[in-house]
Amino acid sequence: MGEPEAGGGEAPGRGHALAMDTLATLILIFVGAALINNFVLHYFVGICPFLGVSRRVDTAFGMGCAVTFVISIAALLNWTFTYFVLRPGAPLPAWVWAAAGGDPATQVDLSVLSYIIYIFVIASSVQLVEMYVRKFFPPLYRSFGVYLPLITTNCAILFACLEIMKHMQDPTKVWGLHEALALAVGGGIGFTLAISLMAGIREELDLCEVPRPLKGAGIALIVAGIMAMAFMGFTGVDKGVHAALSALLR
Amino acid sequence: MPSDQPTALERFINGILPENPIYRQLLGMCPVLAVTNGMKPAMTMAAATAFVLICANVMVSLIRGLLKPHLRILVFTLTIATFVTIADRLLAAYVYDMSKQLGPYVPLIIVNCIIISRCEICASKQGAGVAIADAFGMSLGFALALASIATVREILGSGTWLGLPVLPAGWPGWGIMVLPPGAFLTLGLLLGMAEWASQRRAAVKRQGGGTR
Amino acid sequence: MLITVALALAAGVLALLAIAMGYALGWANRRFYVEVDPKVEAVLAALPGANCGGCGFVGCSAYAEAVAKGDTAVNLCAPGGASCAQQLADIMGVALEESFPYRAVVHCSATRNERLQRTEYRGEQTCTSANLVAGVQGCIYGCLGIGDCAAACQYDAVHVVDGLSTIDYDKCIGCGACARACPRNIITMVPFKSERMLVVACSNQDAAADVRAVCMVGCIGCKACMRAAPDLITIEGALPSINYDNYDPTDETLQKVLEKCPRKRVLFVGRPTKAELAAVADEEMPEPVQADFKTTVDDTAWRG
Repeated sequence: MGEPEAGGGEAPGRGHALAMDTLATLILIFVGAALINNFVLHYFVGICPFLGVSRRVDTAFGMGCAVTFVISIAALLNWTFTYFVLRPGAPLPAWVWAAAGGDPATQVDLSVLSYIIYIFVIASSVQLVEMYVRKFFPPLYRSFGVYLPLITTNCAILFACLEIMKHMQDPTKVWGLHEALALAVGGGIGFTLAISLMAGIREELDLCEVPRPLKGAGIALIVAGIMAMAFMGFTGVDKGVHAALSALLR
Repeated sequence: MPSDQPTALERFINGILPENPIYRQLLGMCPVLAVTNGMKPAMTMAAATAFVLICANVMVSLIRGLLKPHLRILVFTLTIATFVTIADRLLAAYVYDMSKQLGPYVPLIIVNCIIISRCEICASKQGAGVAIADAFGMSLGFALALASIATVREILGSGTWLGLPVLPAGWPGWGIMVLPPGAFLTLGLLLGMAEWASQRRAAVKRQGGGTR
Repeated sequence: MLITVALALAAGVLALLAIAMGYALGWANRRFYVEVDPKVEAVLAALPGANCGGCGFVGCSAYAEAVAKGDTAVNLCAPGGASCAQQLADIMGVALEESFPYRAVVHCSATRNERLQRTEYRGEQTCTSANLVAGVQGCIYGCLGIGDCAAACQYDAVHVVDGLSTIDYDKCIGCGACARACPRNIITMVPFKSERMLVVACSNQDAAADVRAVCMVGCIGCKACMRAAPDLITIEGALPSINYDNYDPTDETLQKVLEKCPRKRVLFVGRPTKAELAAVADEEMPEPVQADFKTTVDDTAWRG
């Protein structure tokens, strides 16, 4: 899964370089998902809670934390499933095909099952998490447990899983678990950032004289548009981060 | 069937404008913002959503007697996921370039709140005929909403409509319109216009009909 | 052969996943089972579910848990009223003491023209902010008229009319939101032992000359009301205060107090009596406009 080798006694420098490369990749993926390609403001996923739950900063932050938490768990489970079963060249179908005496030149590709399995895993894991939190952390459940069923149909979770799947289609360059988690956690933190900023702005908007037709969703979308423009300023930051990391870690 | 449930015709007509899923119910915003930078992707998305909505409504309506209350959302979601997979493969087979352009937004139809909401509100409670009418009405409403936003964004952003140039070649093309901020701003302003129109209609009705 | 194996594999994977998740969820349901007291559910069903906070708890579910534990009064729910209190008493198996509905009373009755305005206030349009600024209004005790109370009311029972906060007693359910919102604390919750209650409609504690300088109708502290009904009314500072525990709606002295007040600041508020309704029966009353919210969009509003 891309873990850096110890390097043995032969090439300790090579192991070090590999670890630094991995770290740089992880940081780039994380910053990319959180800021440059923010899930809400660039990819338009998670708009519904973004408009619905962003009236007060504390509820918005709670929702953001819940989403980050669920995205990480969903990414973990779905990555495992995709790696072993669903991607082209996965071990399980290859083993079954070989056991059935099939021609090793052709591949059994189960990726058509992806969407069904992803959404099923997300829904079940959210249900399990909700039951667990309700039993063992009642104060936590009272603060954000009510959002958990809402998150099942949140586009952001499924989108993160689809992005991870996209990077696992090429059998020679398959994303490892660490890259998948970097994307998921980065996306969740980006969502939390966007929704908390929006909640702060909307709290101030409550005191302003918004024209009646625009009250509610209208003005929220216009503010989101301006926020999206602001976040467009992060374009090209990945090159800068890459250069900085190269200079720092070499 | 209880007599206070809307009929098929009522469901159909309601879905187009009075309960338009985008402008009135504010559901399913994610694809609306993502695919409306041109008319072609918007209409492809509308067609795909219509296909999934109609099939899912029919399927749920047929199995509505077997649904357990606490599992019904999961059953809806899995049914919808199946039809979305079919739709996605069909798009990839017949309009590959468009499918690549739409990218991850076709599988995101699974979590499009419109479809789950129609299954919950209409298909799980009424027969297949009403469910089909409801699905058609909502799909038409969705397509109209997408078309309205895509028209604005494409004409202002690229000077074309459905790929055909409609503005003179000197039009600079407002790049912001085809980028994410343009999507938010267009939708926000159009929502404001729709709200204004409906508030005016309500005010006229109040003045004309009431005794105040 | 490829298709057969692929189909069999697909079906097998899905079936295995469904069975595994089914077992996991079933196990979790038993293992993580949270004991819910059936009394809590019964109490929650009896409560109106408005989550107004008038009982002093965060929401109806918090109040239901407190009642089910057995250490909280069952008659704290104002929107539920007497019927709800009776239902809760039946569920918990306790006897219900007699209680009266609490409603809001504004202790100020000066409209904008009757009180002295000093400077035009151009700050944040809330009473809380205006209260922090000196010199907005002559009377430093009375209603500012910007409408924090009206904004706090979820039941459309408080309106600012002519710069004075006015309670619509047909709609007030006694949740206390307006009383909590008022920065000058001139709205109190009064037990309504009858539909019309005698209240002191002024909060100005200054001496007569100071009151007359800032308000045309404020209480001047002449103590005539206290002399008329010494058991009921006490004077604090230069302001009378009615003791509602001793209040008896059938007492004749209430009418005497009303007549004795030279400024007419001790008044009856509440719903109009039958005699008063009969007196205006000939007049044309406008029809209230009823909103019709029933569309084919279900009550379970999906905001997904």
